[in-house]
Amino acid sequence: MSELLLAGLSALEDYVALHVLTCLVPAFLLAGAMVTFISRETILHYLGTQARKATAFPLAAGASFFVAACSCTVIPVSSGLYYGGAGIGPAFILLWVAPAANLLALIYTGAILGAEMATVRVVSALLMAFVVGAVMTGVFRREEEQRELAFAAGATETARPVATRGSLGLMVLLVATLLAPNYLVQSGPYLHKVYVWAAGTLLVALYAWRVKTRAEIVAWLKETWWFVRLIFPLLLAGVFIVGVLGALLPQAWIQTWLGGNGLLAAFLATLIGSVSYFATMTEAPFVDTLMKMGMGQGPALALLLTGPGLSLPNWLAIARVFGARKAVVYVITLILLGTLVGWVAGQFYFTH
Amino acid sequence: MKIEILGPGCSRCRATEEIVRRALAELNLSAEVEHITDPVQFARRQVLLTPGLVVDAKVKSSGRVPNLEEVKQWLREAA
Repeated sequence: MSELLLAGLSALEDYVALHVLTCLVPAFLLAGAMVTFISRETILHYLGTQARKATAFPLAAGASFFVAACSCTVIPVSSGLYYGGAGIGPAFILLWVAPAANLLALIYTGAILGAEMATVRVVSALLMAFVVGAVMTGVFRREEEQRELAFAAGATETARPVATRGSLGLMVLLVATLLAPNYLVQSGPYLHKVYVWAAGTLLVALYAWRVKTRAEIVAWLKETWWFVRLIFPLLLAGVFIVGVLGALLPQAWIQTWLGGNGLLAAFLATLIGSVSYFATMTEAPFVDTLMKMGMGQGPALALLLTGPGLSLPNWLAIARVFGARKAVVYVITLILLGTLVGWVAGQFYFTH
Repeated sequence: MKIEILGPGCSRCRATEEIVRRALAELNLSAEVEHITDPVQFARRQVLLTPGLVVDAKVKSSGRVPNLEEVKQWLREAA
């Protein structure tokens, strides 16, 4: 019993304690800044009016990065767009990309599993999104034609910009603060990373003081605090459970069922990811633990993608909002795609 | 006056409801306050970002927790 407790605590030390200052603090500040300083209404409005055009798919995928910083908020956004007249393709692209490649999770994936895995995760999530969008549009073609007639009326344009230049500068600085400690300091003691982080944070603070009003800064910090309160407890609990699971699961199982880069391993990893619920960000330490126990890189990618993107509660919510038929098509498409992406990446990309 | 708070039951949505109740108490107003958790209803009201605040069928804010002063202003206008 005490052994399991120790395993959980040591996971907390490895995955949280070492990352709080140099990764989590700037990541939460960035998420808070995006919610406060980016006009998500403008992005969504634009998406609504463009949703019938050829640009809708890439636009929906791009907007997903900015609209939701965690998976919890995406269902109302996506269903709101859909019932407001957006095509089924863009609505489901948003539903998939926002959790599968959300900003907080990507930053954390990069910090724990390396930049390569984070990059592959984004690219795969986007590729899968376009296929999902096309499948949903194709399968529900007739229904879409009828909906199109109903929403033929044009929408009015809003003139509000997506973000001001000062806000953009602030967000660029925050991204730099996030990347600098890990890429400037490749070796040496952790304290060096902290120095780089402190310098970056000081720069962010000075810049914010110059370009933002007091009220704006207060609003930004408040939003940041909401994210911390929402996500941090789940992250702590999740990482603790990951540590305990790592100590409980026999290594031989992992190697037999998830080892290598075969099709079965990719399918099983996808299935685990699709059914179980991972709080935003906890999928990264879970995958890292399993990889240390022998899971292949292809299955790891499949699990990283479907872990936060799909879960049993999320299937039910989608079925309730969009209808059971659309939920079934969506989930089956993603399970097939996840398996395929894991297998292909394992066979042809992760060959080193 | 009818006030609807739209949100899937998140902590920000509860905070919004609390601010509304405080504003009502400070202004000495009474209203029917309803917390709506069904996403289909969000869509029907065209609220995309939660928490949303709807006063007498008009969307007053969405995607953030409004502050007390704003809410009091909206409630005074609607009363």
